[in-house]
Amino acid sequence: MDAPVVDVRALRKVYRVTERETGLAATLRSIVKRRYREVLAVDGITFHIDPGEVVGFLGPNGAGKTTTLKMLSGLLYPTGGEATVLGHVPWRREGSFLRGMTLLMGNRSQLVWDIPAADSFLVLKEIYAVPEAQYRRTLDELTELLELQPLLHKPVRGLSLGERMKVEFAAGLLHSPGVAFLDEPTLGLDISMQGRIRRFVAEYNQRTGATILLTSHYMDDVVALCRRVIVIHHGVLLYDGALADLAERLAPYKRITVTLRGTVGDLSTFGEVVSSGENTATIHVPRTQAGERAARLVRELGDQLADISVEDPPIEEVIDKVFTSERPLAEATA
Amino acid sequence: MIRIYRQLLVAQIQAAAQYRIQAVLWMLFSIIRPVIFLAAWTAVSAAQGGSVGGYTTSDFAAYYIALTIVGHLTTAWNSFEFEFEVRQGKLSPKLLRPLHPLHYSVVENLIWKVTTFLPLMLVCLVIALTFQVRWSGEWWHLALFVPSIVLAAALSFMIGWVVATATFWLQRINTVNTLLQRTSFIFAGQIAPLSLMPTALQVVSYSLPFAYVLAIPAEILRGGVTLERGLLYLVGQAVWLGLSIVAFRFAWRAGLREYSAVGA
Amino acid sequence: MIRYLRMFRAFAASEFQFEMEYRGNFYLSIFEMFLVIGTSIGAVLIMFGHTTTMNGWTLPEMIVLLGVYYLIQGGVNLVFSPSFERLMEHVRVGTLDFHLLKPVNVQFLVSTRHLRVVRAADLVLGLVVVIVGLLQVGAQIGVAQSLLFALSLFFGVMLVYSLLLGLVTLSFWFVRVENLLAIFWAFTEAGRFPVDVYPLWLRVSLSTIVPIGIAVTAPANAIAGRMDAVGVALLGAGTVLAVGIASALWRRGLKSYTGASA
Repeated sequence: MDAPVVDVRALRKVYRVTERETGLAATLRSIVKRRYREVLAVDGITFHIDPGEVVGFLGPNGAGKTTTLKMLSGLLYPTGGEATVLGHVPWRREGSFLRGMTLLMGNRSQLVWDIPAADSFLVLKEIYAVPEAQYRRTLDELTELLELQPLLHKPVRGLSLGERMKVEFAAGLLHSPGVAFLDEPTLGLDISMQGRIRRFVAEYNQRTGATILLTSHYMDDVVALCRRVIVIHHGVLLYDGALADLAERLAPYKRITVTLRGTVGDLSTFGEVVSSGENTATIHVPRTQAGERAARLVRELGDQLADISVEDPPIEEVIDKVFTSERPLAEATA
Repeated sequence: MIRIYRQLLVAQIQAAAQYRIQAVLWMLFSIIRPVIFLAAWTAVSAAQGGSVGGYTTSDFAAYYIALTIVGHLTTAWNSFEFEFEVRQGKLSPKLLRPLHPLHYSVVENLIWKVTTFLPLMLVCLVIALTFQVRWSGEWWHLALFVPSIVLAAALSFMIGWVVATATFWLQRINTVNTLLQRTSFIFAGQIAPLSLMPTALQVVSYSLPFAYVLAIPAEILRGGVTLERGLLYLVGQAVWLGLSIVAFRFAWRAGLREYSAVGA
Repeated sequence: MIRYLRMFRAFAASEFQFEMEYRGNFYLSIFEMFLVIGTSIGAVLIMFGHTTTMNGWTLPEMIVLLGVYYLIQGGVNLVFSPSFERLMEHVRVGTLDFHLLKPVNVQFLVSTRHLRVVRAADLVLGLVVVIVGLLQVGAQIGVAQSLLFALSLFFGVMLVYSLLLGLVTLSFWFVRVENLLAIFWAFTEAGRFPVDVYPLWLRVSLSTIVPIGIAVTAPANAIAGRMDAVGVALLGAGTVLAVGIASALWRRGLKSYTGASA
């Protein structure tokens, strides 16, 4: 069996944050003595990833996903534990490690804004010392996959968010890394662009066999791309396994929100009513019956119904609920 | 109008409190150059046996300290800030209000000068002690200095605003600013007291407004003018101030027309 | 080594392309430099209308000094200033991480990534002024002297570099470092005159804390034959020390940024 590409053991990260109190007296005191607070971002996680896998790293904001990625890409020193990526210790920042991996951050841009992407690419080519022929090949392939042709020669600041994301992707993959860490790659993008990016990532993985670790707080990213997910919350791994089982286990229900023209009556026959206001109500129904229940609501409420929406529950709610509540949610009444 | 100014003052004082450090830094900027040239002239004077053209080392020190104070009190930065404001789109809202944008900058300007005056005097004291300055003036020099510095500050302020209006046509007036700064460098008495300049350049200096901002009030403060000369200088300053106000009115109106034509 | 040169060439090419987009500004900048240097020479001429020497420096020697002043300024403002300006922004916004992901020495990246190519014109102009001054001096400038000159110029630029690097590194710990930099820039004006005209306390500060004084005066002395190989060697040693200290501070700052426990 191949050695894992990413091997993480009991990885731990504690941040020291200075405590700032308000008021003059506190400010004066802080000049003499600084108060620190320790924030446990990652609390001893262990997992490994094999070559070619596309793994989703799921968790709400502040769960420790980005911190983990930063440690795995060598940007942060861990407080404890070990990790190797491509056989190297990431935070030693060895040349061959850095050349073999890439980190893409959804909300931050590495490209120089005022010049066309193509020019930034040339600089990156030199930085990564990519041989000319290989560079041409990779660029052509990325241009084709991401439809970059019209975007390459415009200044980056003139591109829309989605276009910029595509170009950032290309920039990050020019040196054909064997491992790609993607941190919230679809953040802020519109639905169609999200879909395009997801298709690209899947295609890229298929064509090059690159190992991909992708973080997101959008369930859809993970559903589209990953056969395996790791769920993290409060710095701790909650789940590491097949996606199919996760969906069933963590979110066996869908959330239907209705807005009525009149006041809300008793909707408990449709499902578990989790909240209701004067004109609105939110109902949890079993996933497999969501369509049917929604149709029923439309039929039976008729004119009364002003608006209806059917959604996945937000991941924060799901994770929080499942692992802190006692009653499994799969038992929503029919 | 007084009420308006009072309100503006309050607002500006609060804003200024935020930028204390920057304010002091700016002040440092304005004193470095006179100190440098003072050191140079001291060296020249030493090479010439203690005095050059009627200026002893102590006279030079007095002149340059005076120049430092005058330079500080006549600082105006609208020619830079205006361009920035226009680019950021902050001018249009100001134009909608019944108060001319100029008034905001008056208060801003005054506040900065007041808040940095004390540190400035401290620095001047240090310079005075380092270079062993001796003041050779009479009481009426100081009396003359008061109207002179007010005229000079107003003149410098108006010149800054006239230059600022160039933004309406050029958008980026960096080169215009540099041009003006360098002209002032030569002809405003920064390189040397006016009487030490070659005659031809002296004539030019007296024909341009820059000397009336810096060199002339500095000479008055230093005590280097006769009463008649001093009064004549005041007239000169007043004339230039009047010219600059007229020029500004003209440029501003023309500029606004240009501005609204292009699209605010 | 070659690789780093190729990278630098890529940086320069990229920045130059960008500057050429704004050709008007480019030429205006050159015009402005002509203006600035011209008026500075005028200032020196006016002063020397009243004397033949200033602290032992003759007019041609002063012209040479002025040329060196603009050479050093040009050198620093060509590469280091624009790069460090961006660095401070990176630290503030959090995009420094991208530099850390590259298989390149980070200090090299942050020091040379951005250029203001138009400042090369300052270098040319400064050199012209130096040559004009040298012609007036009339002395025979041998190969050895030229070499010493070039070396001391290089050391001068690196001295200023080390100060800038030190200041910019402080932005890892203090947010508003721009103010410190502004003080630095104010002091650099003092380099237009030989450092020995200033009172002792200023002379010392301009040779150590803000080394612009020695950075400019030393090469001018070298080309005027007033500084020998030993002097230049000492300057070199001081420069190596300064760069070493600044680089060590930089590494310390980077460690702090990446959360390495000391």
